[in-house]
Amino acid sequence: MTVSPAPETRRAASIDVKDLVVRYGTVTAVRGVSFSVAAGEHLTLLGPSGCGKTTTLRAIAGLEKPTAGEIRIDGTVVYGSGTRVQIPPERRGLSMVFQSYAIWPHMTVFDNVAYGLRVRRESESVISERVGWALDLVQMGELAGRSASKLSGGQQQRVALARAFVFSPSVLLFDEPLSNLDAKLRAEMRIELKELQLQLGITSVYVTHDLEEALAISDRIIVMRNGIIEQIGTPAEIYDLPRNAFVADFVGSANLIRGRRRPELDGHGLIVLETPGGALIHGMAHGRRAGREAVFSARTVHLQLSREHPASAHNVWPARVKSRVFQGDFTQYHLDWDGRRLVLRCVTAEPVAEGTDLFLSVDPRYCVLLEEESPLVVGSPSP
Amino acid sequence: MERSARAGSWRPGPVLVSLVVGGAAAVLVLYPIFYLIQASLSVGDPQARPPEAYGLDNYAGLPRYAHIFWNTVLVAVIATVFAIVLGFAMGWTLSRANVPGREALEQMMALPYYVTPLMGALAWSLIGSPSGGFLNQVWRALGGDGHLIDITTPYGIAWVMALFEGSVAFVMIGAVMKSMDPALEEASQVLGAGRLRTMLKITLPLVLPGVLGATIFVFAEMLGSFSAALVLGLPNRFYVVTTAMYQLVSQYPPRFPQAAAMGVSLFAVMFVMVYIYRRIISRGSYVTITGKAFRPRAMDVGRLRWILFGICLLYLAIAVLLPVLTLLYASFQRLATAFPRLDNFTLANYVTALSLDAVRSALWNSLLLGCATSILGVLLMGFLSWLIYRSRLPGAGVIEYLLMFPQAVPRLVFAFGMLWAWLVFPIPIYGTLWLLLIAYLTVFLPLGVRTISGVMLQIDRTLEESAQMCGAGWGYRLRTVTMPLLRPGLIAAALLLFIASVRELGASILLMGPKAKVITPAIVESWFSTSTELTAAMALLQTLAVAVALALLFAVARRALRPVGE
Repeated sequence: MTVSPAPETRRAASIDVKDLVVRYGTVTAVRGVSFSVAAGEHLTLLGPSGCGKTTTLRAIAGLEKPTAGEIRIDGTVVYGSGTRVQIPPERRGLSMVFQSYAIWPHMTVFDNVAYGLRVRRESESVISERVGWALDLVQMGELAGRSASKLSGGQQQRVALARAFVFSPSVLLFDEPLSNLDAKLRAEMRIELKELQLQLGITSVYVTHDLEEALAISDRIIVMRNGIIEQIGTPAEIYDLPRNAFVADFVGSANLIRGRRRPELDGHGLIVLETPGGALIHGMAHGRRAGREAVFSARTVHLQLSREHPASAHNVWPARVKSRVFQGDFTQYHLDWDGRRLVLRCVTAEPVAEGTDLFLSVDPRYCVLLEEESPLVVGSPSP
Repeated sequence: MERSARAGSWRPGPVLVSLVVGGAAAVLVLYPIFYLIQASLSVGDPQARPPEAYGLDNYAGLPRYAHIFWNTVLVAVIATVFAIVLGFAMGWTLSRANVPGREALEQMMALPYYVTPLMGALAWSLIGSPSGGFLNQVWRALGGDGHLIDITTPYGIAWVMALFEGSVAFVMIGAVMKSMDPALEEASQVLGAGRLRTMLKITLPLVLPGVLGATIFVFAEMLGSFSAALVLGLPNRFYVVTTAMYQLVSQYPPRFPQAAAMGVSLFAVMFVMVYIYRRIISRGSYVTITGKAFRPRAMDVGRLRWILFGICLLYLAIAVLLPVLTLLYASFQRLATAFPRLDNFTLANYVTALSLDAVRSALWNSLLLGCATSILGVLLMGFLSWLIYRSRLPGAGVIEYLLMFPQAVPRLVFAFGMLWAWLVFPIPIYGTLWLLLIAYLTVFLPLGVRTISGVMLQIDRTLEESAQMCGAGWGYRLRTVTMPLLRPGLIAAALLLFIASVRELGASILLMGPKAKVITPAIVESWFSTSTELTAAMALLQTLAVAVALALLFAVARRALRPVGE
């Protein structure tokens, strides 16, 4: 990607969302959400469809009218239920990339990108310079004169990007911008987006249901479900220390193991659970409080199989391979363990046959205590 | 995510404009209906305005006209059954069977709709009237006795109406058939069900709600239809509700209150039917209405396809070619007769039609009104579509319901309300073209809004939202994004409005002043009072104007089908 300085940089803005509620008739899409985005930060709203992430984004944009709460951009109230302020989207100084790209088919690529500058009454020389800069940045410089209706999906995506940042908005909003691209292109665009964000330094709020996308491009991630925030944290925090079963399960596949607390066995910074089948598991509490019953989350990639008994003192059990699924980059094993099923993913060269009895082990550091919240923790993780 | 929700990103500008336009539409629609109901409750001097006394006597007197209601239902039922059978057969054939020339035939199926019921009635009267009908002349020449067919019977009237309405039924049922996912049928076949079993167990139940909706819609239209019953029934004193109303109003002394009561009754029945129709449509028929258009793979029907092909051609020949040719043939004769004689042919009818001041001015007025209606209509209806489907303003839903009214009321009944409404209007527009312009803009509201909003709903909302996110205000957005994307829809609506205005009869015949005539009522007048041959020439001149507009429409439609911007 060509690196050239932005012709004019506007100071990135911060965003503050407080107690945001969005209700449509009887349906409440967002039920009291609060968070802040620092200037220049890249924040991602992650969650399954219907969790309220897009609604939250559109409320920031001004495209949805919230029911209650307050939204500030760079300290200025753009929506406030108390103050009855509702600044229309076009006067919030934001910009947005839509899931559908929303490229105007009746204009050329150039006209699409120039739109925001023309709205701002820039001179034609400034417009052609800035559009050229923006199109070069997304590698579309050569197609400036082409009719927008003759672009492929990936090209439309790039034009949509250029159009969104060309007029130096203070905040860039992304509504699942990559979800309509095929897997390979999506992976490429993810990298390009990240580089672009670094170059532009604009505050961004990004909505996606794709975990890898969220982990790759965010400074911080907010996991949402049913209109509320489940967890806020850096990608590493979200992945390594899921707060509850929902986050553990949604953010990559995890085995959720419920058991009775055995406080008398605790020690060396570890706490111990006893499963219904009698197995003892050592794990980390990370300062979280556990009741009489508790749940550990253990990622599928952190479980290990071995033919010989490993040397470690804790968390080693016999297990039997029930089935094996070859997935290319990794192999997924379904294990019979302690009267239930566990899922394990590994990259071993030597496949283990179904029906083989082996030793299963997991480092106690990777058994993370979850906060109690839902009765969801019964079965095995989704494969 | 829930995108359909309304966000309140509006400011006083658009709100004010919307209030004015929405309010104007409400007045256009409700003002005449108010007067229609008022007239139906008038029990004093029938000529008095406002009424001297109110009561329900006019409704109580309706049983006297029971035979007229019976006639109406009889004609409507026969015509509906025939039109739906026709529409279903064509709809299935052209969307599911591998008939040769499927695409072209499908486009041509719209043509009978443009050959109006009036044209059809005039032509079929020439073909099948008991005494002088061409077919009956031939029948007698071959030694037959009396007449072979009589087009002036209820069956004849229903036949003419059904030929025309069959095209409407086809479009509606064809759309249902096309929106069905072919995988549903293929799944049945894969699971071992034969073709017949698949048709009975899968296809039929899936399309049934759509067909039911079409039936109710067509039946409601038939109840309110006017021209065929007027041309074919009036000479025999065979009345349906609309023609009886026309008779009550145009006789001396006119009996307005009775006519109004009849109109309100018809209005009530049709309103219920349109309501039921909309319920059926909006509830969606299982998986059929997904909004996705499929191009189902045509079923191989073997040699049957040539028979089906023949049936389609036959329908087009009978519904389009035959009426036009008959009128053409008659218009070039001194005295219309089935058997050509060289000395009987003449151009005199066209010369007369174009030189008679009355005809020339009527034709001119119609073209003028057609242009005015299409230009003003597109502005008004385009804005209303935007208001209803895009503006997110409170009250948009109410306007949508208001626009349903003109669809539910036969134009003649609506015009009756206007007759009274605008007589008392302080500005004297009664008897001028202005009144007709207002009438057309009102009765064609559903047509225009439906056409434009059809295109508008295809435009992804985010196309406008992204302009907003680029900082564009309301007016700028409308000018640079919404309007250009909407252009094909606007042009199509303009042409449809032009066509509809030029051939409008039900409203014009009541509202036309003696000094400001328009062509369609003039054709009817000529039919009843001057010569058949001159009438045929006039009808063809009108058809010519419509055909030109129609050709333009098809050209636009073809261009609109391609992606915008090419």
